[in-house]
Amino acid sequence: MDSATLIQTLLNSVVASSIYALVAVGLALAFGVMKMANFAHGEFFMVGAYCVYVLYGLLGLPFPLAVVLAVPIVALLGLLTERFIFRPTRRNVLAGFMATAGLAFVLQVAAGRIWGVGIAKGVPTPYAGTAEIGDANLGWQRLIIIPCAFAMLLALRYFLYRTKFGKALRACAQDPEIAALQGIRINRMTALAMALAGASAGLAGALMAPILPVTPYIGHGVVLIAFIVVIVGGMASIEGAIIAAVLLGFIHTFVTTLADNLIATMVGVVFMAVTLILRPKGIMGRERA
Amino acid sequence: MALLETKGLSKHFGGLKAVSDLDLSVEEGEIRGIIGPNGAGKTTLFNVISGTYKPTSGEVFLNGERISGLRPSRIAAKGGVRTFQRTALFKDFTVLQNVSIARHLLANESLLGAVFGTARRMEKAHEARALEILEFIGLADIKNELSHNLPHGHQRALGVAMALATEPRLLMLDEPVAGMNPQETARMTELIRKLRDEWKITILLVEHDMRTVMGLCEYITVLNFGHKLTEGAPKEIVSNQEVIEAYLGSDNILEDDGFAS
Amino acid sequence: MSAPSDPRTMGTVVDSRRERLRRLGPWLVLGLTLAVLCVLPFEMRPYHREMTMVFFINLIMVTSYRLITTTGDWSFAHIVLMGAGAYGAALIAKHAGLPFGVVVPMAGIVAALVGAAFIVPLLRTAGFGFFIASFAFGELVRLIWVKVQFPFGGARGIINIPSPEILGLKLGSSIPYYFTCFIVALISLTILYRIDKSRMGNAWKAIHGDEMLAECVGINVAHHRSFAFITGAFFAGIAGGLLAFHMGAIDPRNFDLTQMVYLIIWVVVGGAVTFWGPIIGLIVVTIAFEWTRPLLEWRPLMFGAILILFLIFLPGGLESLLPKIGPTLCRSPVEQLARVRRWLTTFVART
Repeated sequence: MDSATLIQTLLNSVVASSIYALVAVGLALAFGVMKMANFAHGEFFMVGAYCVYVLYGLLGLPFPLAVVLAVPIVALLGLLTERFIFRPTRRNVLAGFMATAGLAFVLQVAAGRIWGVGIAKGVPTPYAGTAEIGDANLGWQRLIIIPCAFAMLLALRYFLYRTKFGKALRACAQDPEIAALQGIRINRMTALAMALAGASAGLAGALMAPILPVTPYIGHGVVLIAFIVVIVGGMASIEGAIIAAVLLGFIHTFVTTLADNLIATMVGVVFMAVTLILRPKGIMGRERA
Repeated sequence: MALLETKGLSKHFGGLKAVSDLDLSVEEGEIRGIIGPNGAGKTTLFNVISGTYKPTSGEVFLNGERISGLRPSRIAAKGGVRTFQRTALFKDFTVLQNVSIARHLLANESLLGAVFGTARRMEKAHEARALEILEFIGLADIKNELSHNLPHGHQRALGVAMALATEPRLLMLDEPVAGMNPQETARMTELIRKLRDEWKITILLVEHDMRTVMGLCEYITVLNFGHKLTEGAPKEIVSNQEVIEAYLGSDNILEDDGFAS
Repeated sequence: MSAPSDPRTMGTVVDSRRERLRRLGPWLVLGLTLAVLCVLPFEMRPYHREMTMVFFINLIMVTSYRLITTTGDWSFAHIVLMGAGAYGAALIAKHAGLPFGVVVPMAGIVAALVGAAFIVPLLRTAGFGFFIASFAFGELVRLIWVKVQFPFGGARGIINIPSPEILGLKLGSSIPYYFTCFIVALISLTILYRIDKSRMGNAWKAIHGDEMLAECVGINVAHHRSFAFITGAFFAGIAGGLLAFHMGAIDPRNFDLTQMVYLIIWVVVGGAVTFWGPIIGLIVVTIAFEWTRPLLEWRPLMFGAILILFLIFLPGGLESLLPKIGPTLCRSPVEQLARVRRWLTTFVART
């Protein structure tokens, strides 16, 4: 690997890590609050991508506006999922999870029926041109993902640690019963968590729309990686999810560069298996009394 | 030789030393009580001895054999079985099924045996033994009730019956009379004594109810902050200044139960 | 283990007759069903015969899947394990030229070995973690099929699987293979039923009920979870072997996520508590599936919606209705109306 490829791969790894982090943080957050396990998380990503396809690609709105609009749309989808799927199935984690597998079907078919299944939707690249960093060239389209993802994650962190709502949400994730005793309304918190999960997955999808071929089935690969990240990160830990996202981002990008995408995904699964055997509670997990 | 022995046993959770460098020795045929203020490490000690947790350091011996680090089912196979502080039973099973399932170790059924039903005569014997245990515990009349429909006292008794079904040499009871009314408590106390006297089972019990502990145990170990504070006969324990201070420093259980007066 | 006797049916002669009928009834139904299934292939159109054949294969799939779920482990890799059996059978039949009667059990063993490899890391997980980790392992195997040309044939899979024969008897044509699948399914279901009703089956249910208690009364939880998973995998492999010979060609798409979600739909619609629940679910969904043939593209949406609706409104599946149907039919009309009204109010309150 020469230095140009190395720099390029490193930058691509940072891009991939940012996207993985965005997707996985939402999954971990929702799982932390009342164990909402969302199988349709990848489809949230897909809907985010289609939002940009429609708003920017078809209607001609400016790209940043399309991205900004995609976030609340997918957040709304998250809210609806919470209200109509997770809330009625709260007794049983697996029921919610399987129901969202059904939702994934529904969203895939809906997208396929509305916009067609066959040919991938190309979204024109709004920021053509490349940045030269050392000897490497990297498309601006990819580079802007890094600050966007960072901004979203920092905003999320600020929200969770500094605002009243965010603190309530974290209290709820630690112990819902005690949180309820303190007057925190659980239903609001689960709704909020799913809205945030939708928003972050939607943002990731929106940002990736000009880079990926947009099809109804792009969620599948996304959710697989998100699951691996969340398991490696210790299921409900947001910090763990981010660290695992960075690890996976680098592993996946480097293996893709050296071999190919399929092998990279396989290596990801093997990485997960090894983590499970060596540290069953994830890299951030800890034994509790 | 002592039936149960721990040597330098410790269990830490992060910085918290729930059990710390504990030496314990329980003779065959004893009824040994373990007491201590809340958070003294009693339940953690149970969890470590029974194999639910792996010790951070130190060893546990059952009948001279090292059992620390083994799975609870292996330890049960070697004769050490515990009950739970919470009400623990298989709630979709009947009373008899609950006890029968606890004879798993002794039945030792293979997959082929399961398919061809070869162990049918053995099953009869297991069921007879399960009934015998239920008779002893006093639950035989309700053997076909679903276990989650039982009143609290019966559920706790069923927990003991299940432990007995594994044919233990050492029975570890985690707060056996918690939440029981006086009649149920008296019955359980009587039962525990009979288990030792007639069935020759060694008993190790954690209990908050001081009256029960003092009335039942010949020897008591007091824990505080994971350490062994002292050991002795009930009389010595009650008059021990350290013990009184440990309890005064926390919940003051001795006074609450009217024991210190 | 004897079922608790119902106090209402004790005593009088009439009641004892009814009791005998109640005990014999299921056997009569079973015998009748088997007889019909023996005659049916001669009267059926080939399309329906093929469909019934696949139904037998799926029967092994749902029943073996349910067996795993009795320990509380809902796997997302069962279809991939079926695929392992199918690939195993196809490769053995093609390259080793072994006879059908040997290849199908070997398919089961191949799947059991793959299952054994999965379960080692999977034991570290439970519940939702088990679900998604098994999904990831399944994907790993599927990606290997897609990626590796030799011997798996990559994305195009394996074609020209030799047609099955036993002792010179050609099974390739429709009716003999129908009976092959029928008999294999019957044997598999009998074995799975015996396991479910055995002490071991009860131990697995006990693990689901309270894992820590099960371990403390001497059930080696890790050992038995593995055992259940590998046994389930074996039968999934058998089903896969039958499928490979039935189709003559297989590729990775036959064993993808969509198929897995359908397997879950069968089990959820029927319910997984009793042995018969998933079978009821499979029958109902298979019929519904055939009805909706004209709406091909909308199918995943409809069945996805069915999955969601069942999980919300009938989480116990159709089997949970069975104990209710009997008494309900015997009630007076006034009571019936009151029930409907009660049901409607709870329904409105829920939504």
